[in-house]
Amino acid sequence: MVSKDVERLLLKVQKPGRYVGGELNEVIKDKKDVAVRFAFCFPDTYEVGMSHLGMKILYSQFNSVPDIWCERVFAPWVDMEEEMRRHGIPLYALESGDPLTAFDFIGFTLQYELSYSNMLNMLRLGGIPITTEARGDELKHIVVAGGPCACNPEPIADFVDLFFIGEGEEVDLEVIELFRQCKREGVGKQAFLRRCADIEGVYVPSLYEVSYHEDGTIARFAPKDGAPAVIHKRLMLDMDKSYYPDNFVVPLVEIVHDRAVQEIFRGCIRGCRFCQAGFLYRPVREKSPETINAQCRALCTNTGYDEVSLSSLSSSDYSQIVPLLEKLTAWSGEEKVSLSLPSLRVDGFTDEIMNKIKTVRKSGLTFAPEAGSQRMRDVINKNVQHDELMQTCATAFAGGWTTVKLYFMIGLPTETMDDVAAIADLGQDVVETFYQTPNRPKGKSPRVTVSASSFVPKPFTPFQWEPQDTIDMLHEKQQHIKNSIRSKKITFNYHDADTSFLEAVFARGDRKLCRVMALACERGFHFDGWNDCFRLENWLALFEECGIDPAFYANRRRSFDEILPWDHIDYGVKKSFFISECRKAYENTTTPHCRLACSHCGAAKYGKGVCFEKRQDLV
Amino acid sequence: MKNVRIWFKKDDACRYISHLDLNRTMLRALHKSKLPIWHTEGFNPHPFATFPLPLSLGFRGVNECMDVKLEDDDFPFEEIITRLNACLPRGIRVFKVTEAVMKAGKVAYASFTVCLSLPGKPSGLVCRQLEELLACEHIEIEKKSKKGRKTVDIKPAVRDFSVTERFDFAELAIILSAGSSDNVNPNLLVAALEQRTGETYEADITRNELYNAEMEPFR
Ligand code: SF4
Repeated sequence: MVSKDVERLLLKVQKPGRYVGGELNEVIKDKKDVAVRFAFCFPDTYEVGMSHLGMKILYSQFNSVPDIWCERVFAPWVDMEEEMRRHGIPLYALESGDPLTAFDFIGFTLQYELSYSNMLNMLRLGGIPITTEARGDELKHIVVAGGPCACNPEPIADFVDLFFIGEGEEVDLEVIELFRQCKREGVGKQAFLRRCADIEGVYVPSLYEVSYHEDGTIARFAPKDGAPAVIHKRLMLDMDKSYYPDNFVVPLVEIVHDRAVQEIFRGCIRGCRFCQAGFLYRPVREKSPETINAQCRALCTNTGYDEVSLSSLSSSDYSQIVPLLEKLTAWSGEEKVSLSLPSLRVDGFTDEIMNKIKTVRKSGLTFAPEAGSQRMRDVINKNVQHDELMQTCATAFAGGWTTVKLYFMIGLPTETMDDVAAIADLGQDVVETFYQTPNRPKGKSPRVTVSASSFVPKPFTPFQWEPQDTIDMLHEKQQHIKNSIRSKKITFNYHDADTSFLEAVFARGDRKLCRVMALACERGFHFDGWNDCFRLENWLALFEECGIDPAFYANRRRSFDEILPWDHIDYGVKKSFFISECRKAYENTTTPHCRLACSHCGAAKYGKGVCFEKRQDLV
Repeated sequence: MKNVRIWFKKDDACRYISHLDLNRTMLRALHKSKLPIWHTEGFNPHPFATFPLPLSLGFRGVNECMDVKLEDDDFPFEEIITRLNACLPRGIRVFKVTEAVMKAGKVAYASFTVCLSLPGKPSGLVCRQLEELLACEHIEIEKKSKKGRKTVDIKPAVRDFSVTERFDFAELAIILSAGSSDNVNPNLLVAALEQRTGETYEADITRNELYNAEMEPFR
């Protein structure tokens, strides 16, 4: 619901439908029945934010409590932002149209580092002071944040009152409960935050002090006021019992992923050494096929979507994928609902799976071998063999597909120019496989897209100590692939190395970067994840002004005994495991996945999930 | 199989969505409602619906319509109204279902209410500006189309109009040529006025009704 003042701006901006709310299944409550107001902010556009599953889960869950009203806030695109500033209209929530200042909690989900500037910009547009300190002690406008980036909260520690570490479903509600209690007792924000720090899965950065060595590395990280020295992640142990919405807000305008999304499991058994999500969400916990089937059906019924996508980090690793697909296809055809199965592994694309998804829709196939040479794939523990990939492509071609997209990374640890050239060779091999497939689509030619992104070393991975390639090196490697491609059937595209550099700075940054962030906000930086707005030169100028060398964060090799900015946070996987994985990478040695053998990463301490599955005896 | 015309209003938040978005929203609602509507065949079957005359983004519509094919000839129209409304966002309300009497191509005119104001200026002034514009023999304006820009005279498309002075806006009731061959959007008229006076107006536009070439209401 928007005010008259906002309406006046709407016809002057692109796609006004994203600023008005009013969608099917949007939750509207009567303010006088509401005790706690939560503004759920996604620091990107409506189209991106509305596609995000985590937001849908928490929105529904909060609103299932009668006296909590959770509303949605997105970053206005630059044209709308300009109009809002010019007319003095503060950032508002879509449901009530009320400005951010009307809310008890202002929560952000942080999916990528490049959205940090949007987070601060949204606070500023909402008229909320950006730092914890400036917001004062009154128990309101509590700024909270969660999501994968919360695993290294340090670069934004000055701005967020508390972080949720791990999965938020339970801990959010516990914090809100504590808030009610503190409100009744008339307690101030500082005292409230101190008590929050005792809840498992909550990190209150203002309760910790960091000191540095002369060389800029961390000397000491000390809790104050009896706050816990280590913050442990929270996770949902029983996925069948954990909350899942039976309903999504159905957008009026087209969004990035405009379909129903059904989560099938959390975590990943694979242990690819570059993949942060694979470690943050350990151990793998699955939903049963019965639960998935029932939830899927309810979602389709309530939203009217005619497409469901099964979501996980690697869908073909779902242990009961075939029985599940059988259950789903039993009704999906009749109800004219199509199924899509993203995140398929190269070795997971069997005839059986192919036939199930083919019955409904034929779109391009996407695989992520991640590296071109076998040696490189062993380094990153992507346990995919060259022959498997060719076999899979042959299966797909025989099944009528002609378009294959392959995703790779460049700049991986130990990578040589030969490894880089192998990316082009792999593309070529796929093209040749097409022509060698006897029952390929007749009279057609294959289209192979080779896509290369730049590796960004992330916290909580075996590569967290690694330097990122410099921008120049990355450019050289991109060029090398381009020069190595010989076929017109291959399209090559690559991600901009500049953005990967900034991402690398913030991913492993420390609190010294808060100053840079604050200055970026003052200068009006926003939408760094968008080419329309991102300018590396502008950031480099800021770093210089603050006397900070970004290469210290992006391109420096850390030693195993350095105190890392995120060392006080525990995601269940032991540091010693990461070190041994890193050493194995240097030796081109792979580690079996969780279902083949347990490698004792530490996540078994939660007492659930794949760590306790019966493993088949291997001969 | 019966051709059925579903009549609805489009306002509030839904006023700000494009015709393409409206189309998707309607298809989704038809799918969710499980009404016996004919679906397209093929890999990705979806309900089949057509719109006799798309409505521009930003306009309110009080008498909009959409055509579908009903598979069950005896299906009660009343139930279509309730079931669809339960599946639609608040800003779209179905109020009537009829048989499609006229062919969609018969639409020849549309009537609009255009509320125009100039912030800080009296509404009487806007009324006079409008009357002067509409008194001109030609109203020329550059029209953007897929083929590029061209200058058109929209005066011949004005079938009838009246201007009324309201408290803080000028109300123009106007009937313009509409349909697939000769469609004139009232936004063009506002643009022509802005071109003439050099002012920027706030416009609130409602489409009221469609007519055939004989000026009979479209049914
Ligand atoms: S403890 Fe073993 S089974 Fe469990 S997540 Fe770690 S490696 Fe996998």
